[in-house]
Amino acid sequence: MKSQKSNKNTILIGAAVIALFIFAALLSLALGPANISVGKVFKYLFQGRISGDASSTIFWQIRMPRVLLALLVGAALALAGTILQGLFLNPLTDPYVTGVSSGAAFGATLTFFFNMPAIPWLSLLAIVGGFTTLIFVYSIARTRGVLNVYRLLLGGVTMSYLFFALVSILMIKSGRDLHAVVYWLLGSFSGRGWTEVKIALMIIPFLIVPFFFADELNILLQGEERALELGVEVERVKRVLFFVSATVTALAVSVSGIIGFVGLVIPHICRLIIGPDHRKVLFLSIFMGASLMTLSDLLARVAFAPSEIPVGVVTIFFGAPVFLYLLRRKTA
Amino acid sequence: MSNSNAPDSPAAVIEVRNGSFSYGETPALRNVSFQVARGDFVGIVGPNGSGKSTLLKIVDGILTPQEGESLLLGKPVRSYGRKYLAREVALVPQSFTLDFDFAVHEVVDMGRYARKGLETHGLSTDELLEKLEIDALKDRRFPELSGGEKQMVVLAQALAQEPSLLLLDEPAAHLDVSYQLRLFDWLKKLNNEGLTIVCVLHDLNLALLYFESMLVFSEGKLFASGPTEEVLTPETIEAVYGVHAYLHRHAGRTFLTFSPRSRPTRKEKVHLLCGGGTGAHLMRELVDLGYSVSVGVVNAMDTDEVTARELGLPIAAEAPFTPITDEAYRENMSLVEKADLVLLTDVPLGAGNIRNLDSLREAAVMGKDVWVLDGVAERDFTGLATGILEGLVDVRYLRDTQTMLVDLGERV
Repeated sequence: MKSQKSNKNTILIGAAVIALFIFAALLSLALGPANISVGKVFKYLFQGRISGDASSTIFWQIRMPRVLLALLVGAALALAGTILQGLFLNPLTDPYVTGVSSGAAFGATLTFFFNMPAIPWLSLLAIVGGFTTLIFVYSIARTRGVLNVYRLLLGGVTMSYLFFALVSILMIKSGRDLHAVVYWLLGSFSGRGWTEVKIALMIIPFLIVPFFFADELNILLQGEERALELGVEVERVKRVLFFVSATVTALAVSVSGIIGFVGLVIPHICRLIIGPDHRKVLFLSIFMGASLMTLSDLLARVAFAPSEIPVGVVTIFFGAPVFLYLLRRKTA
Repeated sequence: MSNSNAPDSPAAVIEVRNGSFSYGETPALRNVSFQVARGDFVGIVGPNGSGKSTLLKIVDGILTPQEGESLLLGKPVRSYGRKYLAREVALVPQSFTLDFDFAVHEVVDMGRYARKGLETHGLSTDELLEKLEIDALKDRRFPELSGGEKQMVVLAQALAQEPSLLLLDEPAAHLDVSYQLRLFDWLKKLNNEGLTIVCVLHDLNLALLYFESMLVFSEGKLFASGPTEEVLTPETIEAVYGVHAYLHRHAGRTFLTFSPRSRPTRKEKVHLLCGGGTGAHLMRELVDLGYSVSVGVVNAMDTDEVTARELGLPIAAEAPFTPITDEAYRENMSLVEKADLVLLTDVPLGAGNIRNLDSLREAAVMGKDVWVLDGVAERDFTGLATGILEGLVDVRYLRDTQTMLVDLGERV
């Protein structure tokens, strides 16, 4: 009886979050400095680009790639946060603790410093920086075939500090275009186009992989040793999931900068809504992350129109109070 | 179960050969060898840090011995994959944390992970919970359960693995007596159904009560092994734990009690005149405090006599229901002579034991310290006591046993 009821609940919640996802996407496509009616949104969606129609051009060239990016980056960060919080058994973990984002930030700052063209260098160097850090931190944390998650965590945090020191030096030394670097570091979808979308689309296959490890993630909540005892090949699972979460993080950061709190807060919200079972939480966090990121970006665009604020600022403003609330609730 | 790989021990589920393991520089197991046969019900005891938990982890393949070999069903444990191992071996850990809000049935289902996609012949989760009498917990949130309930759920999770070997690491550590007995009753039952069980435990009396055979560990070595009653002797326990142990048989059970190792500073000898159980408590307290204690004259099979015998004290004994004979009296006096202090408990005085008062008088005359519990006249059924004690000036009268012990501690 009871499990039937909870199944029904799960389906309802799933339907609700998909509805939210569609609503967020449509609303973000419609609203902006030049508003497009919902009817037109559908028209453009079905008819493709109409030559000579200015708002159609805005829709396809500016708004669509931006919304797609926000959806993908939101999904990636929320998923990576969910996975890492589970793996590290640490509720304060976010996708950036692996140091991958800081490595990416360093790569990106280099392009500003050397005044390289943003396309393709910004994303490219960010990805290279992210992955180099990933491999470095991973090899520090691995001894005799065992991946030590604490060393992974501490190594990642240390690398973050190191890279931020380097970024600071570059910013001071460059003396120009500081505004652009800061803007990028805070995270934004402003001025992104289809090139970034193509990079971000690589996130999608990685979003699917964790679902094959949902049972293992659940069992790992009892600790690594218990998971071994129950038959989980813990090292393999950790390796795969760590690479998946680091990869989606690197890809996300390379196209959007460092958008805070999404990867930290969304997993908590999802667990509050649907419970700790990863089969459900993974699904929910992908759609919640995508929806809330898109809505945040919408707010970033329209709140102080015609000027924009970085979306990372919006997520921090919303994320910080929510997180503090959760923190109080947990300790109470 | 065919087990062609181990022709010398076809029935061995576990075989450890010269296994050694160190955590860094600290050795945890040294050159340990033993076997566990299919259907065995084995307890493992030993002081903290003697290597018991390490041993379970080696059997379960969590740790690999640095020297020697650990075999499961005739093959090295490390040759198996984790999934296969989880289908053969389940472990109920010492401590278990899961702070996430899973329902009990979900936690139990996690035990089925290694059997996913395989045909299962075992019980469903509902049946399992019912069997362990925790079906009422099915939909409860795991973190909200009490320690005892959690332990039963973890046992259910382990049984959901449908193992042929169940390892338990101090499963009773956090359980109240009701859960303890329930747990061990269940283990006994499961063992009767064919499950091989190896259980680390601290409570030696539970070990005596439930387990057929024992492994005793000390400082990483296998100190003794064999049938429980042969292994858990006071001598072994003293050697391994460094405490005195006494074996008692009472109410149809055999059980152990313990005293700390005597402090060498106390050299005084105390002789107790008692009987009928009036001296048992005092005897034990004095032994625990490190005094040399002797007892007399008591009738054989009397509670005081049995206690003194279990504690290994020198006794002057008389046959049951027999008045003190000259022979017993002389024996008693030889103990009195060796003593520094003679105590008379509140034993009722009748025709059978009134001669104990004579020995008390003799002791006083010899110049020994003589202490007597108040109210001798009320306990005297012969009418002779007052006369015997008359004129003894140095006898000290004390209110109760407790005062006696306190004063004894202050005595220089």
